[in-house]
Amino acid sequence: MNKGILFLITLLISHKTIIYAAPMSFKDSVTSMTTISKNYSYLESSYAISSKDSFGININENKGDSYKLKAGEFFYLRRLMRVNKINSQTNLWLFTSAGMVNVKKNIKDDDYLFLSPTLQFDYETKRVFSLISHQIMRVGNQNYDTTKIEGGFSFYETTYNETQPWILLKTRKTKTVDSKTEYTPTLRFINKSLFGEVGVNLDGDPSFHLMYTF
Amino acid sequence: MFKKKLLLVTLFLSMNIYAQTQRIEVLGMVCAFCAQGIEKSFSSDENIKDVFVNLENYFVVIESRDGKSIDEKYITTIITDAGYDIQKIEIVSDSVSEIREKYGAN
Repeated sequence: MNKGILFLITLLISHKTIIYAAPMSFKDSVTSMTTISKNYSYLESSYAISSKDSFGININENKGDSYKLKAGEFFYLRRLMRVNKINSQTNLWLFTSAGMVNVKKNIKDDDYLFLSPTLQFDYETKRVFSLISHQIMRVGNQNYDTTKIEGGFSFYETTYNETQPWILLKTRKTKTVDSKTEYTPTLRFINKSLFGEVGVNLDGDPSFHLMYTF
Repeated sequence: MFKKKLLLVTLFLSMNIYAQTQRIEVLGMVCAFCAQGIEKSFSSDENIKDVFVNLENYFVVIESRDGKSIDEKYITTIITDAGYDIQKIEIVSDSVSEIREKYGAN
């Protein structure tokens, strides 16, 4: 199927955040991903116009004890830097997203236009993965900045066609009055075009992440 | 002495004329999810008969259909468009299927 059609279909069925994993693939590829959990969910799809640039759409929901954000956004992703070594890869990414967000907090329910940058740094080898990202998200005089730190490892290397399992610890914090850090031990599976994760945070809430490159 | 040189030159030339498999050492190729872009791009090229990605040893081998080497500038474009860098490209005498067999069925 034509990649443009796939991209459009994904956009049409897009329904629901904010956090990104391995964010883009190779030139002319379409990458679609979704995460579903109690506190944040999203669906996004992007098209890589080069190995450094992609455009996409993201629909997401992010909530805490006293707030809920629902956003629909367009984003531009730029790979600012990549250092390729024989056994490692280091990346610095800049996401710039713009869209509309609905904020429900206490008795208020308001819509805002927003512009939100995210900076992400990641480092990986065939056995080790680490990531740190920070999103600046200010709406309605409120600060909803989100910071993520992730790290993990794989017990063994796999060949190109085998599925590689990983164990990671993901932490995530959105800066609000009632903010707390969410810790999510996660299992990751990578098999070529398919990238899946299953995690359960310390409150017992499960999360699922799926990514596929066409 | 002249005969030896002639023999070496002939051998060198014949390798380049008949060689059809190129081994590309790739920098940064650490996961299959990322490396699939290389395989997909080469596989979609009708001039390329076979592709083999080896993550363990960080290389890709490609074999052309017409027995001629694939242009190195084109190879470099494919690899860099997938987000990687090239350390080395060399011509090898084994076919892709022989290399695949040598390194296992991965």
